[in-house]
Amino acid sequence: MLGDPRKAQEVFHATLREAAVRAARGELPSEPFWLFRDARWRCLEATKSDLQPEPVEMDERDVAPKAESQIQRLDPIQLAIWISAAPDPQRSALALFYLDEFDYQEILDIAELKLSELSRFLAKGRRQLQAWLDSKFPQPSKV
Amino acid sequence: MKLLSLMRRQRSLLNCAPISARQLADRPMRSAISRADGSAEFVDQQNFDRAVARVVRLISIPAESAEWFSEKDLVPVSKRTWKNTLRNPAVLAISIAVVVIAGVFVFNFVSHLDDFPGSATARKLLGVAASTRPLMLDPVNAEAGTLSDLFFMKHGLEHYDVPAEFADFGTIGCRVFEDDESRRIAQIWVSEKRMQFFLFPAERDSKSGAVMRFPGWRYVHQEGWTGAVIEHSGVCFMAAVRGVDKDLQPYLSQPKE
Repeated sequence: MLGDPRKAQEVFHATLREAAVRAARGELPSEPFWLFRDARWRCLEATKSDLQPEPVEMDERDVAPKAESQIQRLDPIQLAIWISAAPDPQRSALALFYLDEFDYQEILDIAELKLSELSRFLAKGRRQLQAWLDSKFPQPSKV
Repeated sequence: MKLLSLMRRQRSLLNCAPISARQLADRPMRSAISRADGSAEFVDQQNFDRAVARVVRLISIPAESAEWFSEKDLVPVSKRTWKNTLRNPAVLAISIAVVVIAGVFVFNFVSHLDDFPGSATARKLLGVAASTRPLMLDPVNAEAGTLSDLFFMKHGLEHYDVPAEFADFGTIGCRVFEDDESRRIAQIWVSEKRMQFFLFPAERDSKSGAVMRFPGWRYVHQEGWTGAVIEHSGVCFMAAVRGVDKDLQPYLSQPKE
């Protein structure tokens, strides 16, 4: 979500502190995903003051069978930065989805999205990531 | 239009298809996946997602934060609660059906709790009492207890005796008729509270032919009428009145059983 380990650490601790305070007061919300929703909002707050990327139309490509080998060559930090650079709520959708910890309904709940929105963000994200991969790891052109 | 929206929803679900089988999918998602399973596009998408998720797992977490997660799942697998199970429409429908069936069963059980041999006939005769007009009976001005002889002498009906509790009541009229099962019924109308008496053969065991006896007075109810029935010598006597049990209670020598 942040692409910055230091900020991520701060948000993580702030979220835990909030949970501990609420637990001590006996005010823990009953909703199952409030902690993740809270963490998400803190992440968005933390990036508010950052330089915001200019809204530009990113290239998109259809997901290709070769993508798997391209992704394997990717540096995890680069991927984290790429996801964190996406505009929210697409950023939340991609981060929550590729964490592979939540099912789609839970993501809808945490990111406060509709199914059609989540679907659009993920599809668009895949196509943009494919375009980025293609530019980063261009395939030798066949003659 | 509906088909189009259905296809659009399926497409949306497929775009959100779980990366690993660990994320248990709900029925619409399973259905969407089973439709798309094997299609090249969906296979590419799944391979793409798995590859990205593998790289995401490699993103290093600061040691201070990592120890919070260690071997534990980020989100514990939610157990199916009773609340959720009960909210399932299928479970809800079955529960309602079971409750209705149980309700009918209990109603039948309770309504037959007071049944006794001859209660069905007694109920039918309460219906007769409700529709009987004085003109339909032969006028007789006597004490009800004396009509036993009339029934025996004129109609050959043995043991059609009015119990002592009601024997002194003055009669307005009486008749003997056959019911739909050709049983001979004696009906007496008395002036006291415009009560009607019925004498009819007691129920018999279909195999042995023995009279099915029951002790004391029993109550039956039908269409606002109440009857108190007693069996004696193979003949049932019923005193019927428009009203409730307590209208008959003062006349009965024994407590209700």
